[in-house]
Amino acid sequence: MKKNQTTGKIRYRLWIPLFVLSGVAIFMLAWLAASITERKVETRYLDRPRIDIPPAEPNSDIWGKNYPNQYDTWKATADTSFYSKYNGNGNIDMLQRYPALVILWAGYGFAKDYNQSKGHFYSISDVVRSLRTGAPSSRQDGPMPSTCWACKGTNVVQEMNRVGTREFYAGKWARLAGKQTNPIGCADCHDEKTMELKLTRPALTEALVRMGRDTSAITWQEKRSLVCAQCHSEYYFDKNRPDAEGVAYLTFPWDKGLSAEKMLAYYDETGHVDWQHKLSRAPMLKAQHPGYELYTQGIHARRGVSCADCHMPYRSYGGVKFTDHKIQSPLNNIANSCTVCHRESEQELTANVYSNMDKVIEARSILEHLLVKLHIEAGFAWSIGATKQQMEDILQGIRHAQWYWDYAAASHGGAFHAPVEALRLIGKGIDIAQESRIRLSRLLAGLGHSGEVPMPDISTKEKAQAYIGLDMDVLRQEKQRFLQEVLPAWLEERP
Amino acid sequence: MTIMERSGKTKMIKLAGIVVAGAIAGLLGYNLYISNAVSYLSEDSRTCINCHVMIPQYATWQHSSHARVAGCADCHVPQTNPVAKYVFKARDGFNHATAFTLRTEPQVITAREEARKVIMENCKRCHSRANEGVGLMSRNYDDVKKHNGRACWDCHREVPHGRVKGLGTTPHALVVGPGTGNRQ
Repeated sequence: MKKNQTTGKIRYRLWIPLFVLSGVAIFMLAWLAASITERKVETRYLDRPRIDIPPAEPNSDIWGKNYPNQYDTWKATADTSFYSKYNGNGNIDMLQRYPALVILWAGYGFAKDYNQSKGHFYSISDVVRSLRTGAPSSRQDGPMPSTCWACKGTNVVQEMNRVGTREFYAGKWARLAGKQTNPIGCADCHDEKTMELKLTRPALTEALVRMGRDTSAITWQEKRSLVCAQCHSEYYFDKNRPDAEGVAYLTFPWDKGLSAEKMLAYYDETGHVDWQHKLSRAPMLKAQHPGYELYTQGIHARRGVSCADCHMPYRSYGGVKFTDHKIQSPLNNIANSCTVCHRESEQELTANVYSNMDKVIEARSILEHLLVKLHIEAGFAWSIGATKQQMEDILQGIRHAQWYWDYAAASHGGAFHAPVEALRLIGKGIDIAQESRIRLSRLLAGLGHSGEVPMPDISTKEKAQAYIGLDMDVLRQEKQRFLQEVLPAWLEERP
Repeated sequence: MTIMERSGKTKMIKLAGIVVAGAIAGLLGYNLYISNAVSYLSEDSRTCINCHVMIPQYATWQHSSHARVAGCADCHVPQTNPVAKYVFKARDGFNHATAFTLRTEPQVITAREEARKVIMENCKRCHSRANEGVGLMSRNYDDVKKHNGRACWDCHREVPHGRVKGLGTTPHALVVGPGTGNRQ
């Protein structure tokens, strides 16, 4: 560097390189800063939900925009192609398969129509089409209360938030027909902001609270069963609540415990009767799908395996692992459901499952035929002059025996979830049924009839329904008229 | 001569020089700040998700058997002595930073050879008890390269990051950390 002696100026020759150097240095540093910032900002756009989901949004298509894999597999519950040995997701007319059921439910809606439940996709269409919901001619008409909708779809969550639980249950099924249009979907189990599992049905949370559970301390793994238990549980309509006069309030009879005995004790104590049997006049109970309760008695529950672990296993598709939302029989997905833990071949596992099912169903059939005989013999006793006092114990026996039968049969998968418990209950039912028949024979002998009671030919659904006096043609015609004339108009109505 | 007596131009240049030096120092400091550079001196696993491309590894680790017993550094950084540790961190860090800045990370990030050596040594460091009796402690990654034995992960393939790997394989992983946009 040459310095001019007199003025001390530095030669300009240095300015340019110095200028350029510092410019480059600052440029590079700023470039690095920008690069760092850019890559940090990327995370704001990576894997972000694409849209905001409104609170309790009933339309699952909207949720599906953010979670396409879960949405696509959820839609796949429309599949009806799978038939296992005893069930599956296909169309099965249960009354046709087991005509005895018509007799067992004589005087109750199930004797009219009972189809095996299909995928969640069909929850609305099946309930609308079922003969059990009848053919309401107006919004205040029909056999079923509004409460029935509680387990049928995502509109429930929004509607309950809007009007409250009691108001939702009030009135007839027809009141909300045409307004409940979305089948079981995302909003039933998930929080829209965090996708956390959420219990949305008050019947379950109220039952847990009555049992002394702290609902804020429920673990994630428990929720993977409890969101299912919201609907796959035994329930009844409590019409005598002091805070809900005249409302069919959805209640789980869990106060004494989850076992069949405890629930029966609850019902006997409260004097609950679901219907009076048309033939035997017994005060009957209907067990509605105690799937969760029976599962808790099995080995899988004991080992901490939740509903979702088998029915919604993880799936790897397109290089991404996610929960398979096609809820179905694990027999249709053995590789992902079973072999994760059980390292036997699919054939071996299937054979093991069917072997248990065969045995449970063998015992169940025995009980079914006994109950058929019981009802018909009891009806016969009435016809030859039995008194109420004479029949009382027998009718209680019928009530109890059929309760045990229905609890085991209706739990859908009880033969897998808890085969030992299912067989135990059926065994108990057989015992009570036979004891009641012994009493009945003594009574019949006392009334002068010591031979066998004549059994009608109820070998088919049609014969059985005719025997109990159902005019199926009228019921079907009325239903058709409802589906073609009344319902479309209701669908058109705006709320 | 006093400062007042020096020519204005020299003073100006000195001033300019100091200002530029300050600007550069400031920018450098800013870069250190936004890149969270200090965190790289630590062994906190969340440091690794300063870069979002590591989210799949972080998320899979979090849901793995090793989540509560080993952090990222416990497996991926030599734990034999501090010198080895920091020399490795320096080299490795430079490679990471270069790749991330120049966007040369592959869709499926796999460990480099040097890294594999480190990982295998760390497997043995914790799982010595299980392997002493069966003579596996004498194996190291150099042997594996010579086809003289298997690496731990040749059988334990899911540990801990699973078998499905790639930048897009954990689309909805909720991880909290500086590089993730989820503020704590």
